[in-house]
Amino acid sequence: MTTPMIQLSGVRKSFGQVGVIQGVDIEVEDGEFSVFVGPSGCGKSTLLRMIAGLETIDGGDLILNGQRINDLPPDQRGIAMVFQSYALYPHMTVAQNIGFSLDLKKVPKAEIAREVGRVSEQLQLSELLDRRPAELSGGQRQRVAIGRAIIKRPRVILFDEPLSNLDAALRVQMRAELQKLHQELRPTIVYVTHDQVEAMTMATRIVVLNKGRVEQWDTPIALYNNPINTFVAGFIGSPRMNLIAGTITGDATVQGFKADAGWVARLDGRSLAGSIGQSVTLGVRPEDIRPVATAAEADLEARVAIVERLGAETYLNVRNGEDTLLVRAQGDLAMTPGTSVQLALNHAAFHLFDQTGAVIAA
Amino acid sequence: MAAIADKRSGAYTFLAYVTLVIISIFCLLPFVWMALASVDTNAKLFLKWPDGITFEHYTKVFAEENGVRWFANSLFTVLSATVLVMIISGLGGYALSRSRAWWKQPFLYAILLIRVLPSTALLVPLYKVLLTANIGLGNMLRPITGEYYRTVMQWFGFIDGYLGLIVVLATGQLPLALWIMKIFFDGVPKDYEEAAILDGATLVQRIHRVLIPLALPGLAAAGLFTFMSAWGDFLLPLILLSSPELQTLPIGLFRAFLRVNEIDYGLLAALATIYLIPAVIAFSFARRFLVQTFSGGVKG
Repeated sequence: MTTPMIQLSGVRKSFGQVGVIQGVDIEVEDGEFSVFVGPSGCGKSTLLRMIAGLETIDGGDLILNGQRINDLPPDQRGIAMVFQSYALYPHMTVAQNIGFSLDLKKVPKAEIAREVGRVSEQLQLSELLDRRPAELSGGQRQRVAIGRAIIKRPRVILFDEPLSNLDAALRVQMRAELQKLHQELRPTIVYVTHDQVEAMTMATRIVVLNKGRVEQWDTPIALYNNPINTFVAGFIGSPRMNLIAGTITGDATVQGFKADAGWVARLDGRSLAGSIGQSVTLGVRPEDIRPVATAAEADLEARVAIVERLGAETYLNVRNGEDTLLVRAQGDLAMTPGTSVQLALNHAAFHLFDQTGAVIAA
Repeated sequence: MAAIADKRSGAYTFLAYVTLVIISIFCLLPFVWMALASVDTNAKLFLKWPDGITFEHYTKVFAEENGVRWFANSLFTVLSATVLVMIISGLGGYALSRSRAWWKQPFLYAILLIRVLPSTALLVPLYKVLLTANIGLGNMLRPITGEYYRTVMQWFGFIDGYLGLIVVLATGQLPLALWIMKIFFDGVPKDYEEAAILDGATLVQRIHRVLIPLALPGLAAAGLFTFMSAWGDFLLPLILLSSPELQTLPIGLFRAFLRVNEIDYGLLAALATIYLIPAVIAFSFARRFLVQTFSGGVKG
């Protein structure tokens, strides 16, 4: 086992009485694209700024490439950062922006020019070197910000929500560019976002943060398939997973789920005989519920509240008693809000959580 | 219908322009009189075409009167005050913008109050404070400076000295400049400084290479306002300066106007024209920065 590039163990941070980071233990491997994701206020940006050295660390160890760097000044950590606003200096040209860190180190002009040339070629910025940031498009600015980061040949590049200022179309394009950059240059990246789609599409591994703690830390697909609690289950996946309160029912051979709203569904694929009578939360992804034609096939009947027709698929927002469920149906369904719909669950694709929200393992 | 509407709006536009032209002429008249009278061989108090064109009033300001001296005094004191204000408001505005101290808001409103109070009301206590300081300074300097005492006091004295006038002029303009710079820095994201920290910039490098260039439009605005207000200030130099060799332009203009036996309108007009020019130059110089500052911060 190689040493991880970044290792956080028991890292803590408080602002006054408020503990914003409450003991974080994670590792980022060399060349990994690691994404910190979580709702706003979960501490992900603070954690990133602690790695950068822009925030002090109140407890625990921050280890970079085997060396404890808790108290090392930011510029000596071998870390570069791309800011949310990109923070390109408006009074400097693209070339001056990219070469600024070398200029500060009094690197000879000829060498700076050579390095700026190398980086700008990698990022296809060679044509733009004499422009000022105000004359660039959003995508070009991001590339300049990345250029300013990689010219330092950092061991790690940190990204603080770099796509959140862009419009939807540009965001998709920038996501692809970042992935391409990562594949070509293989830098170690730590990337912060509140957008789980960004996390799912780009990450090698995702760290899900909530209230200053790591909820779960794994590959995107592992998080999607095996969320360890209701928070991760609800956060990862779009549209979000349905979480329904109820109990386990049945006998020694067949078990099912009885929702508090009254309906019952069979649960296949694993034995729950030992859990009969237990209060649980059932997690079902929207794509694992489908509308069916007859009541005989259905597990429950619900009333359609909102219909979103996207063409290739249709999102149905339905109500059953107290529960609101989201159904992601294939194809275009012309349903009228207010009508009833028969729904069937995919009986083998479900997640069960206990009353604390933790997953009940198979 | 449309034709009637066009006709009506045409008439309105015409009326509006006529009104605007009349107002403009009214505003321009004093300047026209001043420009004409300053080159008129026989200038009078009323507006008239010059009897003959001459520049003798201008030469008189510099040759017979102490015009060069007044001009230099004005320029020196006002420019020094402006530089002082730009330095202090630049550093102070930055601190006020970034600080989260509890006294920040009370302090900002307190300094605004200084600006609101009529400075004339404060002249007597101010004079008293400056006089006390001046006596203290004099007692300290007299033994060391010996025969140069008077010259040194003309530079560094608080009463009848350059330093006193510069400090008081700067103090009067500082509140507004601090507010301008505080609001300007509020619009400069912290990201720029943090990016510079990660790039390895020291504090001095951050100020010199990042903050000053970013703050330039704000500093220009603060400096221009300081220059124009201080350049136009009449009361402070009148009260604080008494030596003839320290007189500034507005005081020279005032004394020329007060002479009982002869009122030389040509000389007055020439002096006033000379007095106007630096303010106009300062404005044209800083205009583009003003627009940038008051239309919203740094764009990058």
